[in-house]
Amino acid sequence: MASQLPITVKSPPPAASVAAFRPKKRPGSPAASGGQQAAGGSTGSGIKKRKGPLVATPSTQIQATANETTAEVKAVGSADGGPVSSESTAKPPPFKDHTFMHSGIGGAAAGKKNRTWKNLKQILALERTLPWKQNDANYYNIDSPPSLKPAKKYSDISGLPANYTDPQTKLRFASSEEFSYIRLLPTDVVTGYLTLRKATCVVP
Amino acid sequence: MTGQVCQIFSFKDIKATPDPLYELPGQCLTPSPAPIVIDNGSFQTRAGWATSAAELHTPRLLFRSVAARSRGAARSETQIGNDIPNLEPLRWLLKSQFDRNVVVNFEIQELMFDYVFTHLGVTSEGCVDHSIVVTEAPCNPLHCRQMMSELLFECYRVPHVSYGVDGLYSFYHNNNQRNLQLPQTGIVLSSGYHCSHILPVINGRFDAVNCKRVNVAGSQAATYLQRLLQLKYPGHLAAITLSRMEELLHDHSYSAVDYHGELEKWRCPEFYEREVHRMQLPFSGKVPGGCVSVEERQERRTQQLRRLQEINSRRREEKLQQDQERLDRLMAVQELLEDGLLDQFHKSLVELNMDSAEELQSYINKLQIAVDQSRQKLLNAVSRYCCAGNDLMGNLNPAFNMAEYHQLFVGTERLRCPEILFQPSLIGEDQMGLMETLQYVLARYTPEQQEALVSNVFLTGGNMQYPGMKERVERELLAMRPFQSHFKVTMATQPALDAWFGARDWALEHPAAGEAEGWISRQDYEEKGGEYLSEHCSSNAFVPLKVAKPAPARPAEPSATSQTSAGAPADIAMVTSASAYVSTNATMVTT
Repeated sequence: MASQLPITVKSPPPAASVAAFRPKKRPGSPAASGGQQAAGGSTGSGIKKRKGPLVATPSTQIQATANETTAEVKAVGSADGGPVSSESTAKPPPFKDHTFMHSGIGGAAAGKKNRTWKNLKQILALERTLPWKQNDANYYNIDSPPSLKPAKKYSDISGLPANYTDPQTKLRFASSEEFSYIRLLPTDVVTGYLTLRKATCVVP
Repeated sequence: MTGQVCQIFSFKDIKATPDPLYELPGQCLTPSPAPIVIDNGSFQTRAGWATSAAELHTPRLLFRSVAARSRGAARSETQIGNDIPNLEPLRWLLKSQFDRNVVVNFEIQELMFDYVFTHLGVTSEGCVDHSIVVTEAPCNPLHCRQMMSELLFECYRVPHVSYGVDGLYSFYHNNNQRNLQLPQTGIVLSSGYHCSHILPVINGRFDAVNCKRVNVAGSQAATYLQRLLQLKYPGHLAAITLSRMEELLHDHSYSAVDYHGELEKWRCPEFYEREVHRMQLPFSGKVPGGCVSVEERQERRTQQLRRLQEINSRRREEKLQQDQERLDRLMAVQELLEDGLLDQFHKSLVELNMDSAEELQSYINKLQIAVDQSRQKLLNAVSRYCCAGNDLMGNLNPAFNMAEYHQLFVGTERLRCPEILFQPSLIGEDQMGLMETLQYVLARYTPEQQEALVSNVFLTGGNMQYPGMKERVERELLAMRPFQSHFKVTMATQPALDAWFGARDWALEHPAAGEAEGWISRQDYEEKGGEYLSEHCSSNAFVPLKVAKPAPARPAEPSATSQTSAGAPADIAMVTSASAYVSTNATMVTT
């Protein structure tokens, strides 16, 4: 297990030190000075909090004059391995391989491009390029076709079968009370009802 | 009016309790490590052990497949699933590994697996020593399976993995329970959170070529209900949350057997009063004055009127002033005449463009009348304005019932939202509904096959749990099948959970070993690539196309390489391990 070198302004000390310390805590904070008093504890190095069977050998390392290290101390990884793939837990679970990096996403090392995961549309576009045969089933083949039956019309307000459409707002209604209600609606509510059944006109 | 029962409900707003960290049970390690079964759903993830032990026969973990990730400093404090007591405050931070029903974000999937393994009590170092059974989407894209296999084999180093379709596992489980003869034939209608599927199964094997998917299911129903209520009650926008909509769908909605007939019943006011569900919102202290838009508009109208009237009166005053001045001048000229200063009088007449004294007189008379009239008008307008203002003020405060203002009346919405599965045109989707798609799928088979399929129609999935679903499917099937032909519709015993039980049954009956059917071993993964799938009775069909894996250090685009035959992977020199690809891709990318 490689030992980690904490990044400080001073010359790097040879061994990692273990401390129950929150990452990114400033060296000059009270917790740092409290840690100095603990025997064998070290201060000033932000090491991820860890418990369980993977505690690295606690070598005593007191960073003298922690108050002088004004450099931002980065939270170095645990003693298990290289950059941890999951950023979520402060203590990495033991059953994982910590040097694992997803190949579907370029890591920070890969540069600025392609840091996000592909969404479904991009994946399907790639799938289309593969040499499928005529009767192979794939994700976009099995999409249901458009309906052959004409759509029934229902009132936008009450859901009852609607025979009438308001020419001004294009909303459907089933009775005269609904009609008077429609005529009193503000325009944003009217647009809302139309968007609900994807009937908004793009051309103003 | 006799006392009518009106149904007033309140929202339960259930809070999630965090899952405990279970201890690894002894029988899951000896004699051999027990498989872990994970039903990876886009709504909920269900995970547990596949052992014969009595107390482990249900999934240990059931949690929403969401992670609340914030940016910046709080990034490391991601909450998953049941760690989040209430989803609503964090709604904007919630991320899921799914896009529709397919896993695309494997970072979040990794978080989910971490959660599952940690809470199940896995503590083995460097690997998860148990075989994993995972569900995937029907006709899952090869890229996604590749990424999933990579995650499981390379990050967690599991020994064996098996993929299956959740609807088919549920079918398998229920057929076993009903002791149907193998091989099974039937048609599965599975409706989940993002999509609904029609999955025909012929002689124990999934017929992938003829399956179909409708992109309407639970989440579309929930957003539809939310928008309907928000448009009806614009004053309660913030109280109408997705979690409450899901509660309404789970507890207060039903599926109509005859949709038009049911709507006719709702036309009748007594039926409406009896059946409408009034959801009582917590009191919020909001007065409708500022919020009700109709009254807002009235206020605006009165303000505009007031402004107009002010402008008019100001104009009138100015005109009055001008007229008055002119009158004074004319009067002064007339006085000149009376005083006998004839020369000056004639000069001023010329200035005023007038010819004689009579004209001057008539002018003066007219002006006088006009001035008097406008003065009168001003006085009247002021008084009338005061009265009118008071009247309008009176209209703006009608009597209203505070309790009723805080109630949402859920009437026909109770049956409109489940109906979108059968008529997607309600939300503007032009796809066929579930039953029309079923008819389309059945038409692709011979009549004998159709008879066989229709004799075992199986309904499963969380979105099938509305009361009245089974009867509705039976009625529509009766309409589309030939006269006096036979069919049978069954609903799963536990529509949401049966997929997990089916996967568990399958894992117990087909233990992972070497070349066992349905399992992908580490060696298979390395030889045949991540997209390899070992078919079994509840799995997808595998089409052996090689998908190039992007190298981890370089985001190269995967491109199709070549099509291989299923039986001879060793012939192809393509090794899909990452290191080999770095070298080959280096040449590809730089050109």
